Amino acid sequence: MRDSIELNSISHHFDTASERIELFHSLSYTIRADKTLAIIGPSGAGKSSLLSIAAGLEMPAGGDVCFTIDGVPVDALTMRANSGFIFQQFHLMPELYAIGNLALPLRLKGYRDAFDIAALWLEKVGLKDRARHRPHQLSGGEQQRIAVARAFVTAPRFIFADEPTGNLDMHTSEAVAGLMFDCARETGCGLVIVTHSRQLAMRADASLLLESGQLKATA
Amino acid sequence: MNRVKLILENGLRDLKGGDGRISLATQTALLFFLMTLTLTSASIQSYLADNLDQMLGSDLVIESHSPLTKGEEAAFKSLAAGLSVTQLADITLTHKDEWARVQLKLVDDAYPLQGNLQIGNTPAATQRAVSRGPGVGEIWIDSRLAIKLGTRVGDILTIGGTDLRLSAILFHEPDRIMEGHSTALRAMVHSESFKGASIKSSKDRTRYLVAADENQQQAIETWSRKTLPGASVIKKFGGQHPLASFWQRTENFLGLASVILFFMGAVALDMTNRRWLAKMRYRLAIYASFGTRTRTAMLMALGEWLAGFILSIAIASTLTIFAYGLIVAELQGYFPGLSAAWHVAPAVKTIGLFFLLLLALQVPSFIQLSRASLLSLIRNPAESSYVWQRLFWSIASITLLAAAYSDNILLTGMTLAAIAAALALMVVLTWSVIRLGDHWGRRRAGLLPFAFFMMRQRLFAKSAQVMGLGLCGFLLLFSLMLMRDLGTTMEGYGRSHDGNLMIAEAQTDQIDAIHRWAGETGSSVRSLRPFVSAQLVAVNGKALADIQKPSDTLATLKDPIRLSWTDTIPKNNRLVGGDWWPAGTDNWRQISAEPEVMTDMGFDYGDTLSYQIGGKAYDFTLVASHAYQPGAGSITFWFQVPLSARAHIDAPTRYMGSMELPEPAWGALAGLWQQYPTLSLVPLQELTERFDQTLGIVTKVTSGYAAMVLLLALFVLAASVSGFSADDRQKNGLLISMGLRDTDCLRLNFYDWGVTALIAAAGAIAGTWSAGLLIYQAQFNLTYNPNILWVAAMVFAMVATVCLVGYLACRQSLKVSVRTLMAT
Repeated sequence: MRDSIELNSISHHFDTASERIELFHSLSYTIRADKTLAIIGPSGAGKSSLLSIAAGLEMPAGGDVCFTIDGVPVDALTMRANSGFIFQQFHLMPELYAIGNLALPLRLKGYRDAFDIAALWLEKVGLKDRARHRPHQLSGGEQQRIAVARAFVTAPRFIFADEPTGNLDMHTSEAVAGLMFDCARETGCGLVIVTHSRQLAMRADASLLLESGQLKATA
Repeated sequence: MNRVKLILENGLRDLKGGDGRISLATQTALLFFLMTLTLTSASIQSYLADNLDQMLGSDLVIESHSPLTKGEEAAFKSLAAGLSVTQLADITLTHKDEWARVQLKLVDDAYPLQGNLQIGNTPAATQRAVSRGPGVGEIWIDSRLAIKLGTRVGDILTIGGTDLRLSAILFHEPDRIMEGHSTALRAMVHSESFKGASIKSSKDRTRYLVAADENQQQAIETWSRKTLPGASVIKKFGGQHPLASFWQRTENFLGLASVILFFMGAVALDMTNRRWLAKMRYRLAIYASFGTRTRTAMLMALGEWLAGFILSIAIASTLTIFAYGLIVAELQGYFPGLSAAWHVAPAVKTIGLFFLLLLALQVPSFIQLSRASLLSLIRNPAESSYVWQRLFWSIASITLLAAAYSDNILLTGMTLAAIAAALALMVVLTWSVIRLGDHWGRRRAGLLPFAFFMMRQRLFAKSAQVMGLGLCGFLLLFSLMLMRDLGTTMEGYGRSHDGNLMIAEAQTDQIDAIHRWAGETGSSVRSLRPFVSAQLVAVNGKALADIQKPSDTLATLKDPIRLSWTDTIPKNNRLVGGDWWPAGTDNWRQISAEPEVMTDMGFDYGDTLSYQIGGKAYDFTLVASHAYQPGAGSITFWFQVPLSARAHIDAPTRYMGSMELPEPAWGALAGLWQQYPTLSLVPLQELTERFDQTLGIVTKVTSGYAAMVLLLALFVLAASVSGFSADDRQKNGLLISMGLRDTDCLRLNFYDWGVTALIAAAGAIAGTWSAGLLIYQAQFNLTYNPNILWVAAMVFAMVATVCLVGYLACRQSLKVSVRTLMAT
């Protein structure tokens, strides 16, 4: 288990003007890079907060999180440098072409052949002929395929996906989900998905239900 | 390399957007203005420094209004290797029926100590160099004077009853630099030409040109400080050009003008920053989703901002080259030989200062950017508006800049106070109008209540928008109003002055002659006020020469001023502070000063002012302050003492006043001047011509400045519309999706912009009004009397422009489909 995220008895809550809302209490779980994991649950259960904590974006109110890369414990910053994200709203850069969006993380990491690699990935996700299209000229499904490819293109150790198919119809969701899981298995990257969709969750190696502050394994 | 390329690509892409273009244009316009000003200023300073090396005519010059006694002169000679004594007096020179005010220089045999004089036989002749001045009984006059008097070499000119033969046209004196930027007509005579005859006026100066090595110069300087307390000392090496402090003051005034322009630029930049910040936060959050560290992302954001700044340097520099060339060509009339050379160090310094100021304005944005989080892409966290921080940083940097630039603390303070008052009023108005409007509309249906509801939701953003537009309107309105009123005042000078001939200076014996002459020619003497020529040399024991600050008042006080006496407050004066002395008081060592002089010099009641009058020292205690009030003649004095003081002051009385001449009397003036060449009479026509010349320069400078203010006002308006267009698009999309028509959206938009523009206009008017009350009387001696129609027209124009631009922007946003509107 060379790359992992260990959640040890974590708790979380947030405060409003009048009350404190407890999200979950004393949760423990280990996420491994060679597995895919889905977290399901009703709205407001704290799925996104759990994802943020696992990704090192937020500190839990109680308990601790241990990140390991190549068998060595690392801090949240190093963890984030080795992670990728997929969002419900796609979040592509509106001013960049599809290929520009795909090449962006590679260029930020200093790859000289960023556009060549991006072109290969575009072909892989079936959007070779859309390279010179801006996000508003693409359908939702096409945008999300680019977002998926963008997350995987730098070969991170973990990908965190927040409702990646929430904005797509069933048919397109299937295609995007297939793409995500295929990429994860092909690259050996850990994939953590937060979703409402049980169908999507069933594709993962493991599936957890977050409900009433408790985390339960689902079939 | 990839990152640098990415930074440049992002930077260029941002510049293609509306906000980016406005931001670039604002930065470029400000930098262009500052660089042009800096290069022009550097050229003039370098010209002055070169001049000092080449045009002093000696190693050191001492100029004094009270000449040395024979004994002192002998002591002086023993300290120097060589000495030449010249005297300067302002006289009226006549030839047949023509006359002209002339600066007459009386030179000795030693003049000049260094360098040559350039003379010729006609104004257009080839010049020749000579090493000595005119001989006894000869006169040299400059070419403009020869043309004006219609005289030629060989003619006889009479001064104070002495006939002098015009033997050459004078082109250049080696000590010309001492005249500064004076364009007075000049004449030169040997000092022994007037045997027994006296050429005296209150402005007489004695100039000592000295040849001396460094040690001797030091000894002379120390000696002159004791012997000649009011004298000015100019050295060739390590000295300061006589014009340098004049130019420093001009620069400081232009500095304040730049501060106002920068203020407007800051408003435009702040408005565009709002969108830039949102875009950068989004960009940085996405970068973070690829694992890019915050530090790297921040450096990239800084790099993008820098790329825009460097582009604005390139464009501004190109524009500056053209403007600088044109301005230098124009200035060559005032500074002959001035050239448009490149001055790298001052230009870099200006760019550096501008960079730091922009960076200070950018600090709140970068602080917010450093808090940009990937979490914002997962959920929508609450965000602070940072309006107050932005306001604080803007005001703090500009106040510091204003304090650093301006020498006139009173003017700067008044400008900033007016700005602060306008801002406070706009904040209060925005909050109360919108809150009251929302309260009124709570139980009402219709678009206006809804408009108030929407504005209430965006109260902070709305306040920033109103303050930006209002401040900009205030500065624009005030600049235009001041230009208009200054112009009108200068043009109307003839109407307000009593009489058509001003007696600028007359001696006691000349007054009798004037009365006689007036009786013979049917003229009348309208007013006469007595004075003595007095030079302020110390304040509370501290020598004036030791006070070093670029101030107009201080510069004027370094020369003799006119000290008048009176027991009662003159009718055209009013008491503004302190206690005026009782009539017939024996305590004659009291003095009253004008409030502007007191403020600029930092005088307090009880201060001891020491004057040098007729070679003797007199101390006065400051007890009162008087100010000019129109309606009873235009002659007023900076300083006045009790009537009883006159008996204790040993100096000749001089007069100033005014006369009214009938048309035939003008031809007889030449006869009066031939007898009394030092009599200084200035025809009103000549006075208005001088004013027209000054007005011409003032108009050119202020027109250029007004163009810059107008340009920046347009940027502010464009930034205001562009900065809020995304919000408006979203709002319009939402309303159309609810079934409202395009016309309803336009009406709603009209209400929104109408309320914004009305509050901003009210703030602008209030700011202009307070600035008018504070600044007009104190700084320009004008009575603030706003033309209501003009103000109303300006308000209407401002509101109409803002509403029209808002309407056009709204129409533009309504052209896109509902789907797109909803998607933004």
